[in-house]
Amino acid sequence: MKTVFIDCSPKRKFSASGFIAVMTSLFVFGSKKKMKLRTKSDHEGILKELEDADAVVFSMPLYVDGVPSHVLPFLKEMGGWCRNNNSHIRVYVIANNGFIEGRQNEPLMQVIENFCLRSGIEWCGGLGIGGGVMMNVMRIVIVVQLILTLISLIFTGISTGNFFDGQILLGFLKSLAEVLFFGCSIIMFDIWLATCINGKKEYGKHYTRIMVPSFLFIIFADIFFTIISIVKGGIFRGWFSKKRPASYKDF
Amino acid sequence: MRMIIHDLDEDFNERLKTKSEEVIWADGKYAPCQGCFNCWTKNPATCSLKDSLHEMCRVVGQADDVVIITENCYGEYSQAVKNILDRTIGVSTPMSTYRGGEMHHTLRYGKKGKLKVIVYGDVSDNEKATWKLMTERNRINHGYQLKELVFVDSIADLEVSKI
Ligand SMILES: Cc1cc2nc3c(=O)[nH]c(=O)nc-3n(C[C@H](O)[C@H](O)[C@H](O)COP(=O)(O)O)c2cc1C
Repeated sequence: MKTVFIDCSPKRKFSASGFIAVMTSLFVFGSKKKMKLRTKSDHEGILKELEDADAVVFSMPLYVDGVPSHVLPFLKEMGGWCRNNNSHIRVYVIANNGFIEGRQNEPLMQVIENFCLRSGIEWCGGLGIGGGVMMNVMRIVIVVQLILTLISLIFTGISTGNFFDGQILLGFLKSLAEVLFFGCSIIMFDIWLATCINGKKEYGKHYTRIMVPSFLFIIFADIFFTIISIVKGGIFRGWFSKKRPASYKDF
Repeated sequence: MRMIIHDLDEDFNERLKTKSEEVIWADGKYAPCQGCFNCWTKNPATCSLKDSLHEMCRVVGQADDVVIITENCYGEYSQAVKNILDRTIGVSTPMSTYRGGEMHHTLRYGKKGKLKVIVYGDVSDNEKATWKLMTERNRINHGYQLKELVFVDSIADLEVSKI
């Protein structure tokens, strides 16, 4: 059995979609291939991989309540390709969005279902994940913490001779547990999706989210964007101002 | 002010210009969004990509009512139109709030009047249902008070005077 995972985020690195694709693939058996869909030049390579694939998993961000624009020409090309090759490939989708409600991914899910219907391929359902940005931030935080923990273990080891300081290790395990707690529902739904891929079964449509109450999530998100905007300087360049077009026309 | 965003041909573009104060032709000659959020965090309401959509969110921001004419693509906007929508998220700010019991961004240019979406081409019943949901979600996210969704079988049925 061969499963192709397509990371449809336009980001070159550190996309939430890529991360979820990798996480899902950990629970999928058989041969696996992870592809990136950013530009038209990626189409050919992906279609080549689909030739002998049993299932394809689209992992994509929600853009303006739907599918990112650069994915649409690929769907059209793949649709034609599927009809020409009489393909019966099974299609799954994992959508992640910035807002906390995973259910906001519903229109995207329907677009992919419509695509399958028109292309004569098997729609097997998908998972909509709310709070994708936070999940992405959390996994980066964990990696940074892991590095910091290792550094402090080494330094304490050099000064005290004990390279496995319990206190430091415990601190790391605690933050790891926190991340696993916030992500527990996503991981569960993800394993369930992988089980369906393995069993060649339909998954249906399911929605989940980061396990944070939404009012807290909104505060986190606002703090996150404030910090980024201070670092990038946008906050000092008319952050909220009703900017008028300079190079277009007079309004 | 009423703005028309469409993916039709040049001839139609000229005819539409006689009808509306502002017409944006989604000719597809621009790059897709790169997902960098610089239009929120670095240079507000400005896209980092320097093509014809560089300041498009400022242009769209000026409109009170927006009419979108698009070909159907599985219940989604055509690539050319969707590209414009993706590249104009700077019409909102990065700050989030509750709207209608859900999380949404606050609006840089405030509440809008009406969003009218005209979909042409072959549209299945499933796709019609998706369009209903999609345009309603867009209406809420972009802060329009009203929404109208129209399906036409072919562009030939589209009367410029009725847009
Ligand atoms: C152009 C654009 C439009 C977006 N529209 C929405 C939206 O309508 N609803 C939402 O919840 N998140 C929206 N987001 C947020 C993304 O879905 C979110 O950041 C996602 O986690 C990005 O995934 P990635 O890292 O795989 O690209 C949008 C992001 C961008 C760049």
